[in-house]
Amino acid sequence: MLVLLRAFKAIKEKHLEAKKIVEEATLRAEKLMNEAEQKALKLYEEAYKTTLSQAEKKAMELERKAVREAEHELAKFLSVAEAQAKGIETKAKKNFKKAVHSVLNMILP
Amino acid sequence: MESTRAITEMILEEARKSAEHILQEAEKSAEDIIKKQKQRGVQRANEVAKILLKKAESEAALNKLNSVANSKIKAKWVILSKKETWIDNVLREAKNELKTLTQSEKYFSILENLITNAGVILGGKKLEVLLNMHDSALPLRFDALAKEIGEKTGFETKLNLSKETTQVIGGAIVRTADGRIIMDNTFDDILRRREKELHSEIAKILF
Repeated sequence: MLVLLRAFKAIKEKHLEAKKIVEEATLRAEKLMNEAEQKALKLYEEAYKTTLSQAEKKAMELERKAVREAEHELAKFLSVAEAQAKGIETKAKKNFKKAVHSVLNMILP
Repeated sequence: MESTRAITEMILEEARKSAEHILQEAEKSAEDIIKKQKQRGVQRANEVAKILLKKAESEAALNKLNSVANSKIKAKWVILSKKETWIDNVLREAKNELKTLTQSEKYFSILENLITNAGVILGGKKLEVLLNMHDSALPLRFDALAKEIGEKTGFETKLNLSKETTQVIGGAIVRTADGRIIMDNTFDDILRRREKELHSEIAKILF
């Protein structure tokens, strides 16, 4: 009978020890999960910021490209306009006197 | 006794295995959480970035369109400004020629014609003529001009030179004796009145 009691006692003790091992592991697991959640949150923010920052750079580049293209267009238009203006000046110089006489003819009775 | 030890060892072994399994599962879950959150961050940022880039693309396209439109306006302005300068030059030269003309003999008859035309437009009768200082001193044939106006209008006409003078290049202002109706036939006013027509004519000849 005594032997049986000792056996039960030993089993009970080991059972408690086993319970403690599992509880400790559960606690460590919970800690691990908490740390992981904190780390995940940080990584979420970092990934979000990095991706968004790249997009912002791309957006700025798009705007700069549009400005460059517009400046190029302006230069092109102005160049054509200046060439046309030169042509106008040449013609105007040639027809100047004729135009003055025409005005006088229109004004005088 | 041996069987008791075997049982207790088994209990401990099972507990160790469970603990190991719990930790392994926790590590796996932790890795999974980190990986998924990182992916979520990128995914969310990509969604925002998509909107941002679309907006930037539309704004850039709109800005470019505006700039191109402005460029076209600037280019047109360069040409128009050049044309306008030459039209102004012609008008300035024409005014100079008119000033020179007022000093010539030819001007005398031109002035008389301007007075007669104005008088006819006013319908004759009692009229007053305003001239500039220089022209007021000219020996104009007011009686003959009045007769011509009378013949053309059918009304007996009398022309008087006003004591007032005007600051004009040349030509005349003719008004009814009561001053209620005025016909401005000065070069200055004719140029002003016919400005649009003159601009168009000059442009046609010059360019």
